[in-house]
Amino acid sequence: MPLDTSAYNLALLRVDGRRWNELRRLNAQIRTQAAADGSSYLEMGHTKVMCVVTGPNEGGPKRGGGSGPGAGGGNRDSKDAQVEVSVVVAGFSSVDRKRRGRGDKRILELQSTISSALSASLHTHLFPHSTITISLNVLSQDGSLLAALINAATLACVDAGIPMTDYIAACTAGSTSTYAANDENADPLLDLNHQEEQELPSLTVATLGNSDRIAVLVCESRVQVSRLEGMLAVGVDGCKQVRTILDNVVRERGKRMLMEGAVEKGAAVGMDLD
Amino acid sequence: MASLKRSAISDPFASNISSKVYVRSTKSGKVQKIVREVYLRQDIPCSSQLCQACLKTAPRNAAGELTPFVLSDRPAGTKTYPQGHYLVPDTNAFLSAMDLFEQSSAFYDVIVLQIVLEEVRNRSLPLYNRLVGLTKSEDKRFYVFFNEFRLETYVNRDQGETVNDRNDRAVRKAVKWYGEHLAQTKTKKGEAPAVVMLSNDRDNLRKAKAEGIPASSLADYVGQLKDGDKLLDMIPDAQDRDVVRDKKSNEHLYPEYLSLSKLMTGVKAGLLHQGIFNVSPYNYLEGSIRVPAFPKALLILGRENINRAVDGDIVVVEVLPKDQWKEPSTKVLEEDALTKNENADTEEGQDFITEKERKALQEEAKRTLQKTTEGHAQPTARVVGIIKRNWRQYVGHIDQSTVSQAGKQGRKQDTVFLIPMDKKIPKIRLRTRQVAELLGKRILVTIDAWDRDSRHPAGHLVRSLGELETKAAETEALLLEYDVQYRPFPKTVLDCLPKEGHDWKVPASTDDPGWRDRADLRDLLICSIDPIGCQDIDDALHARPLPNGNFEVGVHIADVSHFVKPNNAMDMEASIRGTTVYLVDKRIDMLPMLLGTDLCSLKPYVERYAFSVIWEMNAHADIVGARFTKSVIKSREAFSYEQAQLRIDDASQQDDLTNSIRTLLMLSKKLKQKRMDAGALSLSSPEVKIQMESETSDPIDVKTKQLLDTNSLVEEFMLLANISVAGKIYEAFPQTAILRRHAAPSKTNFDELSNQLKVKRGMELNVESSRALADSLDRCVDPKEPFFNTLVRIMATRCMMSAEYFCSGTQSEDEFRHYGLASEIYTHFTSPIRRYADLVAHRQLAAAIGYEAVDPSVRSRGRLEAVCKNINVRHRNAQLAGRASIEYYVGQALRGRPAGNEEAFIIKIFSNGFVVLVPRFGIEGLIRLRDLAEPEPAAEFDPETYTLVTSGSRQVKVDLFQKVVVKVSDEKNELTGKRGVKMELVSP
Ligand SMILES: [Zn+2]
Repeated sequence: MPLDTSAYNLALLRVDGRRWNELRRLNAQIRTQAAADGSSYLEMGHTKVMCVVTGPNEGGPKRGGGSGPGAGGGNRDSKDAQVEVSVVVAGFSSVDRKRRGRGDKRILELQSTISSALSASLHTHLFPHSTITISLNVLSQDGSLLAALINAATLACVDAGIPMTDYIAACTAGSTSTYAANDENADPLLDLNHQEEQELPSLTVATLGNSDRIAVLVCESRVQVSRLEGMLAVGVDGCKQVRTILDNVVRERGKRMLMEGAVEKGAAVGMDLD
Repeated sequence: MASLKRSAISDPFASNISSKVYVRSTKSGKVQKIVREVYLRQDIPCSSQLCQACLKTAPRNAAGELTPFVLSDRPAGTKTYPQGHYLVPDTNAFLSAMDLFEQSSAFYDVIVLQIVLEEVRNRSLPLYNRLVGLTKSEDKRFYVFFNEFRLETYVNRDQGETVNDRNDRAVRKAVKWYGEHLAQTKTKKGEAPAVVMLSNDRDNLRKAKAEGIPASSLADYVGQLKDGDKLLDMIPDAQDRDVVRDKKSNEHLYPEYLSLSKLMTGVKAGLLHQGIFNVSPYNYLEGSIRVPAFPKALLILGRENINRAVDGDIVVVEVLPKDQWKEPSTKVLEEDALTKNENADTEEGQDFITEKERKALQEEAKRTLQKTTEGHAQPTARVVGIIKRNWRQYVGHIDQSTVSQAGKQGRKQDTVFLIPMDKKIPKIRLRTRQVAELLGKRILVTIDAWDRDSRHPAGHLVRSLGELETKAAETEALLLEYDVQYRPFPKTVLDCLPKEGHDWKVPASTDDPGWRDRADLRDLLICSIDPIGCQDIDDALHARPLPNGNFEVGVHIADVSHFVKPNNAMDMEASIRGTTVYLVDKRIDMLPMLLGTDLCSLKPYVERYAFSVIWEMNAHADIVGARFTKSVIKSREAFSYEQAQLRIDDASQQDDLTNSIRTLLMLSKKLKQKRMDAGALSLSSPEVKIQMESETSDPIDVKTKQLLDTNSLVEEFMLLANISVAGKIYEAFPQTAILRRHAAPSKTNFDELSNQLKVKRGMELNVESSRALADSLDRCVDPKEPFFNTLVRIMATRCMMSAEYFCSGTQSEDEFRHYGLASEIYTHFTSPIRRYADLVAHRQLAAAIGYEAVDPSVRSRGRLEAVCKNINVRHRNAQLAGRASIEYYVGQALRGRPAGNEEAFIIKIFSNGFVVLVPRFGIEGLIRLRDLAEPEPAAEFDPETYTLVTSGSRQVKVDLFQKVVVKVSDEKNELTGKRGVKMELVSP
């Protein structure tokens, strides 16, 4: 067994060799499935997720299931489009191969959080009486799951061409010592992996684009209020880094599409490409 | 916009990411494959103050602070490395010689590689903690270099390479990198310091030589140091990692242990059993182990079955077939007596079992054979594997008889036996070059290994404590033996004390924040009652009549939690110490003196902060109401038990204070009666007091402690306060209250004693409930012998479980019971100056009454469980140390006196001797048949009636519980240099 998180103070190195303010390797692709309206694949370290977006389609979802605020039913009368999110966690995604059913409370909560986060950025009022369906698949888990899901969903929505205010970029932040240790001088941490999430206090934060506007803030662990501010600041800063990476993924893809001629030249007005 | 290509090219980690894959198996036997990312980087500094390059990229924490570089720019030189050197020890070096690295004379500027730290952690947590402690100490200059995260020093495991080989290679690579890296720095002297690998693994050393890496074995390295000779003893020889001795490979003395996976599957399937191995205090070849599957402890007899287990180890045993079951031995076997002629040096050539041992065992076997038909045999087992060694450092002295003449004179390496102070620990084989200096000294050693072909465990010297029987050496020996933290408080702890020091006072103005939510009880007539000379006064009391005819009774406890805030250095230190340890002539405090004996101590005539429990009681001592409050009190007087007693008895004293003590006494008697009615046990252990000469503090006499009414007065109210507080904090924190429980003893514990009472005295011991036991103990009276009842109580006490602290969420509510006190719930609240549990209870109570916010440390269940576990051990060790200290002083007191005749009682009978208890000194002594007369008389032992009849050179008949007269004297065994109390039977 390697060392645990308590060794941080020996050399300011985390369990995987990162510094306190470093993200893990973040790789992403969009348009991974040609048949879908929008799709993406995203890796944050060993956390790997896939996303497919369908819609906006007029009318309610074809099948039941999924969830989200105000989800159930046809929504034909609603003025805004509904964002339906479904998360499927593969049995092989974590070490202990525990199967999670659709009714699992944690998954319901993930779905609801993602749905409300995206609703804040997507221009749902443009698509009355319709539904946007976001299907997320978790292939591998190594911490920061919610953040990875939000990022993947954002990318897929971009790919689907749904108008939105800005990217919703998410990441996690933590602290180098446990709640019980009550260490005032603990460093904040950015982008926690599974081991860190198990041992240390953590929160997930998502911001709207480059602004400091927070779209999601979830904290399920106990932590001293005095440490929260530092964690949040680091988290928001991390979100901006994530946004830059996501933006680059989109631009890279766009550039390739231009070169391959998938988009007519001139259609990309306003895209500042060199 | 070059950043467009970022994801492909400028990804800072692109080529620097590696994965670590390893397999781990869970408790339930599943195998899991764990994959972890490893980010390799180039900004991990070498931390040498010589290096400028690393300074530029050195990491900063979130506050922007730079960690100062550790390794000196002018490291010490040796003969081989005159330019100075840094050390890089491998795992083996730390595991086998951690004591060496803690020396203050050498071993500075040490680089601890991450891979080494990880391996040490996996092999031994205590050693890991000591190593981390070293890296934190500023003057030793130990630096942890994370070689596994530095791009240049990371190595991949090759195909077919073992993990150990890969790790050794990683160590060599790191040493090589360090050498090359430092060579680039320019020193003023010209040459950069050498980086030297330290290892005890021959293979690793050989490979290092081949690769041109500076390397040295521990022994070679230490040999070059100035006082190397002394340090040499502290290291084991260089070894091959897989110790295979070619010669006589099929002639091992001990059976091989089963593999870990076999043990685990065996235990899981219920074929093998796991438990803690205990050695009988009377017979070093008999051990026992309690396992859940058997109601009675399993017996383990003989060297081969014990198979290298040492008292306290966690072992796995296999139950032997029923025809091999034995009875517990009725014979005393003492290791030094049976094996005294063994030669430590040439043990290979000797038989595994000495002739004398064999004889003793044969007699045993004969006896059991005759008896097995009668069905007294107990389940017997043998050790097949060791899960965890519980080896610690042992104090002892060298067996003079094993020292060769050459060793006594010169500096030649000699092999000798160390006789540990703890009788349950086997002799330890020791190789040393300084026998002459160590003879007659108390020394500290550790066990290194116990190989299959070595009869005794091998160890090495840690240090010498001083002359045998000098007070300093013996006291330190005691403290080490019971793991008492006795070093002075470090500066960080003292920094937590109030700045005013002894001038600290309760603020005069009641507007001061210190007065917030405190009741002003300064006008109450409060006094304290403690033993003579008590300085750390934890508790004070008051009582006064109320207009409605009831009484108000208050227990006021020192408000330690006001001064010791959670999680500061002082709190950490106190939680590690766990308790104050009282030795006969010394007190090792849990908290610094300033608090313990002054600011917290409820001294008379001054105002002090207190935590008060105040009840309203009616004249029958029924509680009408209770409240808890922080307060300010002013004690009117600090009485000793004797003074208070005199004052109560003196009818002419009619002042309010004396009358309030009388009220307290009256109520306490009623409380006691209620407790007794509920079934509380009155148990007993022999308590003695050492009388010291005031000037020299040499012991001159031993007296049994007298118990006065006032002792029980204080005790009753403390019990009541503890019970009340326990209820309150449990109500407020059902999951995390710190409580104390005393489990009911299992019935089999009392089997022997109740049978003995039945056979010898026709008395019944009823252990159905604590009430029944208390009543039946009351009936165990011998009208002719007033001490008999106490004797039975002493023996009953030994059958009990010990009470323990626990966190309320870890037990179901019906397990909370305190059996001895017959209380449904109990905690410790009344001695926060000297017990850490009380301090935690104070914090919880303060939170429960809304005085302060709940600190996370007293709400975190994991943390509390760890605290309970530690203080349970500390508490027990403190008791044992206190008892051992009394024993030592009794011995010292006897030394000055002429041998005298004393009354004694027989408490245990063996086929070759018996054990007597001398109430006057509270000590036990063994009288063997051979002590009775010369030549040794023959004897007939009847285990059914517990009688021993000797014939021949001396004819006596001894019975269990019999009163005898013994001559008690002090004796030193010239052969082994061991001093002890000697008892001779005078009559009958
Ligand atoms: Zn450097």
